[in-house]
Amino acid sequence: MKRTLILLAIFSLLLAAAGAQEVVELKLPRSNKVVIKLMFRNGSQCDPRGKEGLTQLTTALITEGGTSNLTHAQIVDLMYPLAAACASSADKEVAVLTFEVPAVFLDAFYPVIKGLLLTPSFTQEDFNRVLSNQRNYIDEVLRASSDEEYSKLALEDVLFRGTPYQHPVAGTSQGLRAISLADVQAHYTHCFTRHNLTIGLAGNYSRKFLATLTADLARLPPARPPRPRLDPAVMPDGLQVEIIAKEHALGSAICAGFPLSLTRADDDFAALMVANSWLGEHRKSYARLYQKLREARSMNYGDYSYIEWYRNGSGNMLPEPGVPRHANYFSIWIRPVQTAQGLQAQYPELRDLRIGHAHFALRLALRELDGLIQQGLSEEDFQLTREFLRSYMKLYIQTPERQLGFLMDARCYGRKDYIAAMDCLLGKLTRVDVNRAVKKYWQTRNMAIVIVTDKAEAEGLAQSLKTAAPSPMSYSDNLKSALSSDILEEDQAVATYSMPVRAVTIVNSADTFRQTGR
Amino acid sequence: MKYPSRNISLRVMAAALLLLGSRGAACGAEARILPYPIHQKQLANGLNVVTVPYPSPGLAAFYIVVRAGSRDEIEPGKTGFAHFFEHMMFRGTDKYPKEKYSDVLKGTGASANANTSEDRTVYHMTGNAAKLETMFEVEADRFQNLKYSVQDFKTEAGAVKGEYIKNSASPYVQLEEKIAETAFQAHTYGHTTMGYFKDIVAMPDQYDYSREFFRRFYRPEHTTILVVGSVTPKAVEALADRYFGRWPRGAYVSIIPQEPVQSATRYTHLQQAGFPPFLSLNYKGPAFSDTGMDVPALDVLSAILFSEKSDLYKKLVLHEQKVRSLGGGCSDARDPGLISISASLVQADDLQGVKDEIVRALEVAKTKPVDARVLAETKSHLRYSFLMGLDNPTDIAESLSHYTWLTGDPEALNRLYALYEKVTAGDLLRVANKYFVNTALTVATLSPAADVGVQ
Repeated sequence: MKRTLILLAIFSLLLAAAGAQEVVELKLPRSNKVVIKLMFRNGSQCDPRGKEGLTQLTTALITEGGTSNLTHAQIVDLMYPLAAACASSADKEVAVLTFEVPAVFLDAFYPVIKGLLLTPSFTQEDFNRVLSNQRNYIDEVLRASSDEEYSKLALEDVLFRGTPYQHPVAGTSQGLRAISLADVQAHYTHCFTRHNLTIGLAGNYSRKFLATLTADLARLPPARPPRPRLDPAVMPDGLQVEIIAKEHALGSAICAGFPLSLTRADDDFAALMVANSWLGEHRKSYARLYQKLREARSMNYGDYSYIEWYRNGSGNMLPEPGVPRHANYFSIWIRPVQTAQGLQAQYPELRDLRIGHAHFALRLALRELDGLIQQGLSEEDFQLTREFLRSYMKLYIQTPERQLGFLMDARCYGRKDYIAAMDCLLGKLTRVDVNRAVKKYWQTRNMAIVIVTDKAEAEGLAQSLKTAAPSPMSYSDNLKSALSSDILEEDQAVATYSMPVRAVTIVNSADTFRQTGR
Repeated sequence: MKYPSRNISLRVMAAALLLLGSRGAACGAEARILPYPIHQKQLANGLNVVTVPYPSPGLAAFYIVVRAGSRDEIEPGKTGFAHFFEHMMFRGTDKYPKEKYSDVLKGTGASANANTSEDRTVYHMTGNAAKLETMFEVEADRFQNLKYSVQDFKTEAGAVKGEYIKNSASPYVQLEEKIAETAFQAHTYGHTTMGYFKDIVAMPDQYDYSREFFRRFYRPEHTTILVVGSVTPKAVEALADRYFGRWPRGAYVSIIPQEPVQSATRYTHLQQAGFPPFLSLNYKGPAFSDTGMDVPALDVLSAILFSEKSDLYKKLVLHEQKVRSLGGGCSDARDPGLISISASLVQADDLQGVKDEIVRALEVAKTKPVDARVLAETKSHLRYSFLMGLDNPTDIAESLSHYTWLTGDPEALNRLYALYEKVTAGDLLRVANKYFVNTALTVATLSPAADVGVQ
């Protein structure tokens, strides 16, 4: 692996010296379409301090704006009958523009792509519209439409506090207010250049088209953006809890995690992938956390764990490409569990309840993680989980767009083909490798924990966590009468599981994502 | 603001239209849009088996479509039950108890799940085509021999409540509940698939009803199996015969209450501060049909009036910037459903003005024929957008399952797209006059205000 990395690094240096862009090709002569992906190595970590959100705004304005020849409305008119599509996305380290078009219309559509990239109009009218929507997302939508996504971004805010990774990719309230159209123009010139670009091309295209595309994109701005400083998250000192209190929350949404020192570039990633899949594979009923919290106890809709960022986990069943990251972290996602107020309203027998299920859920999840670290995977579980992953990962790349995206992301980790590389590594893995990696990378004593919950729940929950009070599970009488003695006995152990919390802070929802570095 | 010459734009547009012309001629109005043949075989017990061979090396999408959903929740206190029952289907059988089922499923390496809506419940897995027989075996077992304890039943009810709780964080979900119960007073489309919270809280007491639900709806005559990918019809049909052939036919038929004709505009409102104001105009629409012209004409008209290319979008979203997003369309439903037009606004003060603009566009559509070029471009968009999505077995199976639950026949997909080609400007005038009438309208608003504030 190291040798491969060195060769790839030398190759990248040669490309940079020659001024040529990196090109990733996926030729599919039987496909009826062409996919073009342009990945700029910038991302929200390149946002100037005080202008958080600038990279996403610039990226969005390229695809939602016009060119020197065409207004945005004219571009929409042109694209519509062709069924051509363009989309933009930004993450911490990259911004990606994706264009898809039926192969028969490639020549008709290409001038638009070229114009958007080389001569974006960046008008005040388009700027106002796109900025207004981005501000609206941060100021209102994020904190009032999905407490789950809210808790995940809040966890990053805690884990990466004080680093360029801290703020949401969409920015902060204060940062977005400070951005002007001139900032966008300058950011485009400095951070969307021929020197930080990877070109991806998939589908049914010709050599001539590829040559035209690469020649045109060599005319992107000539600046050489500096490589952003890579700031890993700081390991929390003990268990640090942040409770975000909001109005009218029916549940407590929980996300907890700690920094990881490995990424897809490391061979140990495959080993940890097996352990993580067994513990908390995304949206799968056969993972341990899901079985313990949802299936056995009916606590919520699902519970999962991750060894890297998983974009839009509430909506996606499979991971998306376009999110390569070098500052990585492990996380546990506990979907909303019930609050005391909600349980009191439903069941008279719980009318004296003081806190809901959040404390118990956290204890149960950390106890399971602890158990895995101490005992490791059994040979049977190892074999089954490895077999699952070797087949399941092929589903990540069902479409040309996804296949191309994962190939491009792989380059960010010094790999040629991440899916193929993991398959190869998984094939060679042993249970010993997995259990060694678990002990090396995972622990339960230092962790950041974010809980988005109702204002009425916050104070009591904070007190319970701070004092490490026992947190017995509170079932309705109806459910409790049906549960097995095994579960009720295990509940007793969970209720007093040692989970020493170092600090708890309560934050008003209105004060989140206002500015960086709070 | 200055935009230089439009010459390039016009040149490119001309080239695009030339291409459209040649492509349209090649396809022909009667051409089947799906470029892969749909093989169908109905077993003696009424189970329909659909196979679409598709070059996806080593992968197969395996879908089971049950034509039962929240539309069938006709008894009081049973809202949300079809969805709850979908959850129960993962609770095991004698042969494959929950844990064993999970292990077998995990061994297939498939992406597997299920979902429920008003008219249907869909169980799906995409995975290794070499494991197709295993997929058939475990699915046939649970569809015929589902068995769960009272404990499992009561426990799963809590997971459904958890789903309601996580969904309820979204004001849109709360508004959707209000729109349904305002627009429908008799039909079961009056409650959402998720159901009312009080019914969800009471679910643990419905064990016996759950067995009845299984007996009623999990029957071959309500079900279609769809397989898309590296498979042959012969192999799929043989597996269906082997594993589902002895599944007994049922006899239950849902009697769905008919919705009386609406006679006046209705209003509903959700007070919500700190969230973008929202407007939703909901007109009573037709049931889905792949033979009449109403549904295809409404699809085309909705695209013309409310897509990003529409005049209204350009005015409200791009230029005046009063609206953040705009969209509209006819919901595909087995019984007459809703045609919904929605807008997310910047300022609540503009709710009335935006509503008036939308209604004005609908009124113009009743009297002014659509330009032939706009009609041709819209048809092209519908056709090529669909074709662009046919690049993997899962999405093809999703499309086929959609038309299967609507009509029982996946060929409805080809028939609908053939009808799109036949839509005329006259059809658009006719459906605009037929459906966009005030007496069939439900206006829904979301804003910080205490009441609706829109006439």
